[in-house]
Amino acid sequence: MKFTGIFLLAWMSIFQARQGVFVCKNAHVSIFSSTPIEDIDASSIKAVSVFNADNGDLEFSLPVRSLHFPKSLMEEHFNENYIESDKFPKATFKGKILSPPDVSKDGTYPVNAIGDFQIHGITRNRTITGTIIVVNGVVTLNSEFTVKCADHHIDIPQIVFHNIAESIRVRVSGTYSLFKN
Amino acid sequence: MKKIFTTIVSILGFIGAFAQQGNKTLSADSMLNLMSNTETQHEKILPAFNATRLIFSPTTETVKKNNLNFLIIHRFGDMGTAFGGFRTFFGLDAVSDVYLGFEYGFTDDFQVSVGRNSIGQMGESQFKWAFLHQSTDGYVPFNLTLLAGDGIRPYGNFTSFGDRLSYIAEIIVSRKFSRTFSFEVSPVYVRDNQPLPFVAGNPPGFFALSTAFRWKLTRRMSLLADYEHPFSSYRNNSGNFEDPLGFGAEFETGGHVFTLNITNARAISQINLLSNSPSSYGRGQFRLGFTISRMFDFNKKKNSNNY
Repeated sequence: MKFTGIFLLAWMSIFQARQGVFVCKNAHVSIFSSTPIEDIDASSIKAVSVFNADNGDLEFSLPVRSLHFPKSLMEEHFNENYIESDKFPKATFKGKILSPPDVSKDGTYPVNAIGDFQIHGITRNRTITGTIIVVNGVVTLNSEFTVKCADHHIDIPQIVFHNIAESIRVRVSGTYSLFKN
Repeated sequence: MKKIFTTIVSILGFIGAFAQQGNKTLSADSMLNLMSNTETQHEKILPAFNATRLIFSPTTETVKKNNLNFLIIHRFGDMGTAFGGFRTFFGLDAVSDVYLGFEYGFTDDFQVSVGRNSIGQMGESQFKWAFLHQSTDGYVPFNLTLLAGDGIRPYGNFTSFGDRLSYIAEIIVSRKFSRTFSFEVSPVYVRDNQPLPFVAGNPPGFFALSTAFRWKLTRRMSLLADYEHPFSSYRNNSGNFEDPLGFGAEFETGGHVFTLNITNARAISQINLLSNSPSSYGRGQFRLGFTISRMFDFNKKKNSNNY
């Protein structure tokens, strides 16, 4: 009888250890850069993300066209001349969170993700820091990092040099739900 | 009893674990694709043209909501006639036509423009409505924009006020064939209440066809060509009319669009240049011209940083 109880507990713990795959269909991404002449500030709520809490796999995908700028002409130039979003429609991150936290417990966990960050068709291996916050079982991921235009061959023409900063701050925030088949 | 319960829980646990395993086989990658596929249904293409006008003809683009476009269009004097040459620096001392105007976007697809031409001192107003947008998936294969406008000549001798008015209506159809090549063709109807030029046999109204392309060479610079042909027996047979043909280079510098062009037609307004363009390349009556457009954005800056 005692044996059965241990057996049962063992099964339950295996079941518990699998935390599952989390998805987010409306992650918020905003980009910001400041120059003496004008600030560039755009945001999207159409990024999608998959986070596997068991092995730490993390993927992000942002349709670049969904980034909206307050100035429509700036948005047009961003898509047409800088990111060339008709050629490279998505910005992605494919990587792994190192030592993923136990998301079944509430708390705030600083995390590091290592992986391939791609925009404008150029991939860079990066370590990006962020925070996973679990409140009442709801998983939220926040991150802020900088993208250097030169790293991704985003050319800034001399003639409009002052309009564009050489690096752009990116903020990502997503609230995940457990994926159900 | 307890044994049965244990077995059932064990089996449930096993199934649970197995189901989780099943989840994992569906890779994060394919899940991402599944989720993002729905986002791009019939998405609009990036604009087929950088500006609302090419050399003669309007494009399918409109000024976006709360944007104001200020336009200065200029045509100089003949380069190759006796009035041209080095003495006038190939016509730069003379002015054939100047247009000053504003275009304002009430919505992303609807603009109103007003302006004034030197030729005939004609004031112009136009409505432009971008009706169809070409989509990236080919669901809508072209852009279609409707344009209606009028011109009024407040000075000069006319028998009645109505004779001072001209009208233009246009269906602009364009297609962006590739990232670099856009082509447009526009059936036009022009009506001059008093025929222009005012000679016997010239009908007040006629149809015309306008064709133009933009070939983008670099991210900043495009080549343009623009050709207009009126279907009017008077214009085709009198010997006093040449089809307007223009070539240009367009420079886009972020906020400004600058076009340098060579045209035979003196006039800037389509009403004027379709009605009355006697200038001929063969007789040296071609000229330098430019368009400067500056966009002002009145959209309030949203603060997207607090989320």
